[in-house]
Amino acid sequence: MASATILAFKAGRAFRREGTNFVDHSSEKGAIILQKGEDELLHLIWRNRSTNEVEEDLILFPGDASFVKIPQVTGGRSYVLKFSSSNQRHFFWMQDASISRDDEFVKNLNLVLEDPDRIPVWQIGSSSQPQASTSQAGSSRSAAAPSGTTPEQLAQLRSLVQSMSGNVPQGEPELSLNDILTPENLIPLFRSHPDLVPALFPHLPPDLPTQPSEEVMQQIISSPQFRAAVRNFDQALRTGMLGGLVRGLGLPEEAGTGVEAFLRAIQEQASGEDRMETD
Amino acid sequence: MSDEESGWHLTESDPGVFTELLKSLGVPYIVDDLYSLDPDSLAALQPIRALVFLFKWLPQSDTEPDPSLSSGSGAQYDPDFPGFFAHQVVNNACATLAVMNALGNIPSLPSGPQLQELFSFTTGMDAQTRGLVITSSDWLREAHNALSPPSAISLDGLGLPKTSEDAYHFIVYMPAMGCVYEFDGLKSHPIRHGVYEEKGEGWIAKAREVVEARIATYPQGSLEFSLLALREDPLPIIQSRLKQLQDAGRGNDSEAAELFVRLSNENSKRERWAFENSVRRHNHLGFIHALLVAMAKAGKLQPAAEGARTKMQERIARRKEVGMDLDE
Repeated sequence: MASATILAFKAGRAFRREGTNFVDHSSEKGAIILQKGEDELLHLIWRNRSTNEVEEDLILFPGDASFVKIPQVTGGRSYVLKFSSSNQRHFFWMQDASISRDDEFVKNLNLVLEDPDRIPVWQIGSSSQPQASTSQAGSSRSAAAPSGTTPEQLAQLRSLVQSMSGNVPQGEPELSLNDILTPENLIPLFRSHPDLVPALFPHLPPDLPTQPSEEVMQQIISSPQFRAAVRNFDQALRTGMLGGLVRGLGLPEEAGTGVEAFLRAIQEQASGEDRMETD
Repeated sequence: MSDEESGWHLTESDPGVFTELLKSLGVPYIVDDLYSLDPDSLAALQPIRALVFLFKWLPQSDTEPDPSLSSGSGAQYDPDFPGFFAHQVVNNACATLAVMNALGNIPSLPSGPQLQELFSFTTGMDAQTRGLVITSSDWLREAHNALSPPSAISLDGLGLPKTSEDAYHFIVYMPAMGCVYEFDGLKSHPIRHGVYEEKGEGWIAKAREVVEARIATYPQGSLEFSLLALREDPLPIIQSRLKQLQDAGRGNDSEAAELFVRLSNENSKRERWAFENSVRRHNHLGFIHALLVAMAKAGKLQPAAEGARTKMQERIARRKEVGMDLDE
């Protein structure tokens, strides 16, 4: 997978004069480019626009770096990239012809530095393409606007979300756990596998008014309260954000990214356990 | 304050949940479903302390009428009401707020110390401040949240579109100072519906008029509603009367027989509530996982998933026909 450009804008570099607090702007034309590299890591690149050479390639960990204005420098367009993990400092100055876009670029840059999965938001009226010319045709990847978005931009956004992290957009679900964990499916299972029933007792509510039994278990799986819990879990799975939660069940993180993924992982887990039992 | 920031979970509005809340507040009352307002049904449940009318508008209905003041029998706002009235400040707390508005106007209410302290602390406060005090009461919020499913997989804050499982709107009708009052936490003041006669059914007769008039103001089929009765717990009364009869050697006569039937009905109702609350409060994640693994091991998971896919497609097709939004 080639690198994906998240955003880019024109910027020059600046360097601290030895032994002083002065920062001298270098006049070379350049661009700051934020990319998700082939290594899946976030890269901040400075490319020289005259030579097209990449002269700086920094790997950034989420939340480590921030891009902050240096108010003392006149002109108001000087910034420093600083790190919480080290004393590194990289100085830049904005080179876009219009100063009015500075805030937007910086805000979006900081958003992504904090969390690389964030999607930058661009104001209506500004082109959705990053201003700097880059050889990666990554411009469509930064399109996202709250209102007044065209259908083309929405389609771009949808495919961007899908390509990013296996997140399935909130569209039509393929199947629901509520249609799998039905009394019609489960009661015959209890009948054909009687040992299963007592094996499930430890998972039942501890404060039931009666002792656990097959009948009680049937009542539970038919109850609106249990069905609501299944529906709740089904909806939560569809957000794709249950990676951490499912680890507690001995499943891989991938299992928490959706209903189908969860079921696949369960199938694997069951086959694995079967294999162990026959050893 | 948003529901998410408030820390109040959305609870179900069923009698078992309400009764459990009353128990945790130390109040020896129960809440029952009312299926009818006719005199015989209500007589069996007396003494009734308050009626709770809960409803929600269905999507296809028009903008809400304000029918509180339309009963034509002199209903009016009472800004000088000296009793307890609190505003609803957080949506998710609506059920507990309605209960508080009811309990706060029952004279000599038997209750636990925390509730008593809360009522005395809020004496003389305005409705908005009372609402805020209730909402920021940690012990009350915990008692309320204990009634809802565990928040390990809470959907709050995940930004999911709200489905029509939203909170009901709650209105309490009860007697106070010789009049039937209406307490609606979303209205600025309590509404006084006029005096009632002590004889016969008492305040219930007046309340019935008011509630029926209210229901009639909504277009047919536009309203989903329930009526609940907040009443004294009959169980200890039945039990002690039965004991009396048995001690007097009348354990086999018709009154005793009738009481046995009522006792048995009450007990099975309590057991059902206990079962439902237990299932409701439990974190079923482990159970769900174990069931699915068992299905997989028995080779039943794939066919079930296939069936589920088919069902979903059929459902989507049916809804498209009817023109409904899938996320309803």
